[in-house]
Amino acid sequence: MKLSDISDKIGKNFENGKPLHCFSALYDAIDSFFLTPKTITTRGSHVRDAVDMKRIMITVMLALVPALLFGMWNVGYQHFLSLGEATEFWHCFGYGLLKWLPLVIVTYVSGLTIEIIFAQHRGHQVAEGFFVTGFIIPMIMPPDVPLWIVAIATAFSVLFAKEVFGGTGYNFLNPALVARAFVFFAYPSVISGDAVWISEMPDAVSGATPLSLTMNGATEQMPSFLEMFVGTIPGSMGETSKIAILLGAIILLYTQVASWKIMLSVVIGGWATAALFHFGGLCPLTGWQQLLMGGFLFGAVFMATDPVTAAHTSAGKYIYGTLVGILAIVIRVVNKGYPEGMMLAILLMNIFAPLIDYCVVRLTIRKRKIQISRKKIRL
Amino acid sequence: MKYKIRKGLDLHLKGEAMPEMEALPIPQLCHVCPTDFRWLKPKVLVAAGDSVTVGTPLFVDKNDERVTFVSPISGIVKEVVRGEKRVVECITIEVDTSAEPIMPVLFDDDDNAGSHKETLLRYGLWPCLRQRPYSTIPNPDRKPKALFVSCFDSAPLAPDYPILLKEREADFAEGLRILKRVVGPDVPIHLTLRDGADNRFFEAAQNVEFHYFAGPHPAGTVGPQIHRIAPLDKGETVWYISPADVCRIGRLFASHLLGFEKCFALTGPAATHSRYYTTFYGADISDVLNMQTIGDNVRKISGNVLTGKKIDGFSTLRFYDHQVTLLKENSEREFIGWLLPGFKKWSFSHTFTAWLTRNKKFDFSTSQHGDHRNFVMTDIYDKVFPFNAVLPLELLKACLTHDIEKMEELGIYEVDSEDFALCEVVCPSKTDCQKIIEDGLKEVKEA
Repeated sequence: MKLSDISDKIGKNFENGKPLHCFSALYDAIDSFFLTPKTITTRGSHVRDAVDMKRIMITVMLALVPALLFGMWNVGYQHFLSLGEATEFWHCFGYGLLKWLPLVIVTYVSGLTIEIIFAQHRGHQVAEGFFVTGFIIPMIMPPDVPLWIVAIATAFSVLFAKEVFGGTGYNFLNPALVARAFVFFAYPSVISGDAVWISEMPDAVSGATPLSLTMNGATEQMPSFLEMFVGTIPGSMGETSKIAILLGAIILLYTQVASWKIMLSVVIGGWATAALFHFGGLCPLTGWQQLLMGGFLFGAVFMATDPVTAAHTSAGKYIYGTLVGILAIVIRVVNKGYPEGMMLAILLMNIFAPLIDYCVVRLTIRKRKIQISRKKIRL
Repeated sequence: MKYKIRKGLDLHLKGEAMPEMEALPIPQLCHVCPTDFRWLKPKVLVAAGDSVTVGTPLFVDKNDERVTFVSPISGIVKEVVRGEKRVVECITIEVDTSAEPIMPVLFDDDDNAGSHKETLLRYGLWPCLRQRPYSTIPNPDRKPKALFVSCFDSAPLAPDYPILLKEREADFAEGLRILKRVVGPDVPIHLTLRDGADNRFFEAAQNVEFHYFAGPHPAGTVGPQIHRIAPLDKGETVWYISPADVCRIGRLFASHLLGFEKCFALTGPAATHSRYYTTFYGADISDVLNMQTIGDNVRKISGNVLTGKKIDGFSTLRFYDHQVTLLKENSEREFIGWLLPGFKKWSFSHTFTAWLTRNKKFDFSTSQHGDHRNFVMTDIYDKVFPFNAVLPLELLKACLTHDIEKMEELGIYEVDSEDFALCEVVCPSKTDCQKIIEDGLKEVKEA
């Protein structure tokens, strides 16, 4: 008996009118996870592209893997470094893995439960968007964040950033960032300050990130360019290694899953603003140093490029990206209360993306009118 | 003038037609389907048992009874098949196999627009013309902005027009002359040709403007051509017609012969022997389809894989089609298919390894490769949609939200469902773009 036949047989118990129907969304999610759907085209084009949302999302997750693997090792490395112990590679990695696993399990259980309940209630299938959201959330949290806070933050973001608006595709805020912002504003002590970025850190050690060092004017303690680029610095799990993030960026750009327009304009916007501040004497850091610090690159590659919450029009993507870059640096430099500006910059631009799109659409309509009238004159 | 279409996509399917022609024997049955014509409300003029011949009116357009649809063959009406809500689905004719499919007809030879129009309407050749916007049969009283004849088909596995129209240069020239009279001397006729192809057949035409198009599909469809040559504004119409129908009109006026012969290419990955056949419009082609199909579970499509219609019920080609595509039905489920490299899966995105061998011919099937989701990938349509200053995603959203004013502003009059076929193919959310646009157009028309 083939697997698909077994699945079909089990599936009969979840059909409308059967006792297990109230779990049909859950069954459907599991079924379509293991087996590709048997849907054939019924109207319109008879052939379709092999790509579907699952493929897109798995590609994004694949792109996140380098940063994740490095992050796991780095969590362990930073921990043992703060204790003054020299430890083997696998020891560090194992330590990080054990820190990551509970976080990711809690995130998925909390988020997927809500997703499945909503899908069941709406009679829809469970959308794949949360697979990436749930993968990203543990990567942008401090390693020791209490699990119950992660559970609440995830539930909050899935409910209020996504499901109340209609689910994946209708949300206007990036759910992973909303989860982080929720923790940031509701439980600031677990996600800000110098003490949270190294797992189980002894009190005597300073766990300050490059960002907070700059903020306090302690630039002489800054890690070297190479350390920041490779990522052997304290920070959230996913953000520290710029090499790993760039590797992810290459995957996203090659597969054309993420928009190069957004990535490029965030980097240019951020770099130009930082360079301006540097030359204006407001900030000792150069443009490139700013790009390598904090979550800037991680945000530019994985979060600003979320196609649903970014601007939808091509021209809008450039404007959106540039403004994300500018705002992130402005918040960092001008507002001393928030060392990390990327999260707030992206969330703010998420809110403005529809306005950008509106303007682009109006301009395009005008352009079309001019095009037609010009053609008429020529004829 | 030369134009280059940059945004578009050629699907490389297996099963291209060999340049060999076979005449099919006259079949027992003929099916004339009013559903071939978009949004047509037919008023049937015949009943079961009536005897008809080539040119006998079968039904007329309820909105304009001058627009007549005639019998393509001689025989006896077998049945008027009605579907849900008594919609006329098909008029089936039992064919008199001894009769000729091309018959002489009589009409006045006055060389003026009014008389030509009347002849075209009377002998069922007016429906050969279609108009943009809406892709419906044009109103005979209106004057178009231009007339387009697209002289190549860029759709997947599309037939080669010079093969379809072999030795009909004289009919083509006469057809164009008549059409010029019908549309008026001040209305330009645009012939659009494939840049770099052998266009000798068409280039002999006179009193027309030639335009050369290069690039991938949809370079051969009238939508992007009209957009570049004579863009449509609200209230304007452009007419278009296929070269085969121009020849049909030409022959009627040159030699008083009326015929609805149809030359088509049998193509597709599930066809045993892809080649050209000749028959007549409405002819039941079930025999040849059954003979030339590999395996049982095959979808037979009248038209190409992008815009064609599944042949079920009545085994015949639609009025405007000149191609049959045979495609394997595929509802097989693959274990963790979303994770595998996908060497044999065709994809426009670069998420499968097959992208590296994208110019290879692929064994396409009818699998949708996923279920419907909300819009997520926002820039994918732009890559295959060759209209400047028309935003495909915004237009789809305007149609979905029934916002007629916005649809008009965004340029709904310039597009048709077929222009969104490629968007539909590449969409990872499996959105039915063509249906959405067709519904939007209908809404705009009825408003």
